[in-house]
Order: sequence, then C-alpha cells, then structure tokens
Amino acid sequence: MWLWFSKLGSPKWFYELSSKWLPWLVVFMAVAMTVGLLWALLFVPEDYQQGFTNRIFYVHVPVASISLACFPLMAGAGVITLVWKMKLADMVAKSAAPIGAWFTAVALITGAIWGQPTWGTWWVWDARLTSMLLQFFLLIGVIALRSAIESPDAAAKACALLSIVGAINVPIIKYSVEWWNTLHQPATDLTMNENGANGPEIWVPLLIMIVAVYSFFVISLILATRNEILVRERRSQWVMDIVAREKV
Amino acid sequence: MKPHRRKKLTIIAFIATGLSVAVGLSLYALSNSIDLFFTPTQVAAGEVSSGQRIRIGGMVKEGSVARSEESLHVEFIATDYNNDLLVRYDGILPDLFREGQGVVAEGMVADGVFQASRVLAKHDENYMSVEVKAAMDAAERDRADAVPAGESNGS
Amino acid sequence: MFSGIVFSSVGEFLQMGTYAFHVWTVYGVFAIFLFVNLYLPRVQRRQFIREQQRRAQRDAHTGKANAGQNAVQADDSVVPGESE
Repeated sequence: MWLWFSKLGSPKWFYELSSKWLPWLVVFMAVAMTVGLLWALLFVPEDYQQGFTNRIFYVHVPVASISLACFPLMAGAGVITLVWKMKLADMVAKSAAPIGAWFTAVALITGAIWGQPTWGTWWVWDARLTSMLLQFFLLIGVIALRSAIESPDAAAKACALLSIVGAINVPIIKYSVEWWNTLHQPATDLTMNENGANGPEIWVPLLIMIVAVYSFFVISLILATRNEILVRERRSQWVMDIVAREKV
Repeated sequence: MKPHRRKKLTIIAFIATGLSVAVGLSLYALSNSIDLFFTPTQVAAGEVSSGQRIRIGGMVKEGSVARSEESLHVEFIATDYNNDLLVRYDGILPDLFREGQGVVAEGMVADGVFQASRVLAKHDENYMSVEVKAAMDAAERDRADAVPAGESNGS
Repeated sequence: MFSGIVFSSVGEFLQMGTYAFHVWTVYGVFAIFLFVNLYLPRVQRRQFIREQQRRAQRDAHTGKANAGQNAVQADDSVVPGESE
C-alpha cells in the first residue's frame, strides 16, 4: 500500500501511465460527448413549461455539478502536499485550479442565459448563485496566490491551505437550495418520480452528458498536469529524453 | 504514519473543523438575510414593515390571475398554502409565469397588498415533455370523472 | 423513451421554438470551453518542447564542457507554460 502510494506520487510514473490511457479516454469522451449532445439537441422532447430552453439543462447541469468536484480534489491534494510533501499532488492541485475556474465560469454563464427567459432575470443574489460566484472568486484567488508567492514550496503550502478552506463552500453550494429559499430550483430527482416527471427520456441523455463532461474534466486535468510535470521535471534525464525525441 | 506527519494532519483537521463550525454558525445566524424572499405567512405575521423594499415568494394560486385588458396591469394571489398575499404588478411577466407555479416578486407591502416592481418566475425541478403532461392531465380528468364530485374532495 | 427526432425540419431545429439565441449561445460557449481546455495544453506543451530544444541546441553549439550547468541556470529565467 505504501509502496503503491509512493509510486503513484512519482511524476514519471504518472506521466507514463497517462500516456498509455489518454488516447482511450479521449475516444471514450468523444463518443459519449457526440451521443450526449446529439441526443440532447435532437431527441429530447419539448418541455411542457420551458419549451426548448431545456436544451440548456444538458450543458448547465453537468458543468455545474462537476465544477463542485474541483475544490474537494484540490483540498485532498492539499492535505497530501502538506502532510506527505508529495510533489505530484501539488502539480495536480495547481493544474486543477484554472480548469475549475473555467467550469465554474461556464456554469455561471450558461445559468444566466437559461435564467433570462425562464426566470425573467440573468442574475439574482440568491444563495445558490452567490455561493457559486464565491467559488469562482476563490479559484481565482488560489491562482493569484500561486503566482504571487515566488518560492514554489511556500506557494504550494499556501494554496493547499486556501483550497482546504475553500472546500467548505462546496456543501454550501450543494445544499443552498434546501437550506434557504432561493430562485434556483432544487436539484432534480432523477430516481423516477411518481408524478411522471423526469422520465428516462429526460435523464438518460443527462447521464450521458454527465459522463462525457466528467471524462472531459479528467482529460483536461491530465493534460495540464502532464505539462506541469514536464516543466517542473525539466532537469531530469527522462524529460530531456522526451524533449530530444519529440519533433515540433 | 510518522509522528510529525500525524501531528500535521491533526493540525489541519483542527483548522478545517474549526473553520467549518465558524462558517456554519455564521450562516445559521445569517439565515434570514440569506433567504431570497419572504413567504406570505411571514408577511401576514408582520415580519415586514410596510414601505420596506422586499421580495416575496410563493405559488401563483390557481385561477387567481386577473389581467387588465387595456394595460399591462396584472393581479394574482401568491400563496404558500397557509396564507395568501395579493400581488399587483404593471409590466411584462416572464415566460414561465403560470398559475400553480412558483413566483418571486420584488416590491413593497402597502395596506396588505404587495405592489410589485418586478416579477420573476421560479420553476420547479420537474421536467416533462408536452405529451407526457397531456397524457397525465387526461388521466387525471378520467379519475376525476370516475369518482363522484363529493367523494373526490377528501382525497 | 426514444421517440425520434423532435424537429421536422432543419429550420425548426435551428429556431429551437423561440429560444434560438439562448440555446445556441449556450452550446457555443460550451464548444469554446471544450476547445480551449483540450487545445491550450497542446500549445503549451509544444511551446515548452521547442524552448527546451532551442536551449539544448544552443548549449551544444557553444560547446562548453559544463553546458549542462549553464542550461540549468538559464532555465530558471524563462519557463514557458508557467507564465499564465
């Protein structure tokens, strides 16, 4: 177990393993994304209330829910960085912050575009929207903190702490629609309601889109982490070998 | 685990727990101002002074929407099934404004009536196709027809 | 569950009821989002490799015995990919 743990912590090992898996993951994502998008756009029936704005649901919900995975991931990596000083954990944490900021921004933008026709407003300061905006600013804060501190070790520690603190916001975002009254509707219950709403014609394409967007998140994270590994390990022989071999 | 690592982990756990408790308590204390709107029951209980700019939220009571024919004036009753609140509004309603659906209105209470300056639709988390909805409505009508009017009141 | 394409023409599909602007803006944003996060890492990687290759070449040309050490020192000044 500990051997496995320290092996996992080796950037070289991660780089080589991800080289092997990345093409398969990309193929998987491409298939899921194509099926999901076509299904959502072409086959989902018009909603009895919202008309065709229900198309937005299939982008907004996966992106928003996966954006919530970012802080727990960074916090977990942060704990590993602080306690075990594993280099790879910090590389993952550093790569995850901008990706999380993208996910959060896209969730906010698509939500605003959805809210305009359905609610009648782009934005409202309710608990869900405000806590989501806070997550965006926290991620920008983590990125800024990283670039503001010169010593990489100190930057890693500071960012790890901020990530652990920022992760407190995640349950607040998730349960905001239940704890307080908000304009944002509660999470859709996909376990087949008795009133006939949210049937499989609604949730199967959503599930496919969630899987597709999740693999997209993992792929972006792997790609960014691999770059980070190359940059930080540029003085080690195995990276020099890669550089020498590659034609650009 | 080495002792210095266990110590670090404990410190982190303490900080995280302490912060969570602090954040939780302050959110609990602030919960009234974090709420986006007042319910008709809160308004009826006199939790808002008249003339204060607030938001109210509830369901649009079935059959309560009255539109003026020559202007954009509209009146409807917002309800939380305990108390009702009459809302007056001059303006364009959002696409999803429907009877039986949620609504949030911005404005102020005057003489027990809510004068809204803006009306937002709150939609629920249920998605259904037009066909499914029609089929369900038809089934509901059949059920209502099958049961004599007097008995169905109780169900 | 799978009742076929709900639009009867391409025009109808593009119109999305009356919500063409909203639906297509969202899918446009999503497309940009996918493109940027999959393509940008490739660009950064290529930049990094090119930079490192140029460095290695320069060190080879100057032909110093301790070229390796110089490379390390030069390395610290500019690191592509870390600038953002």
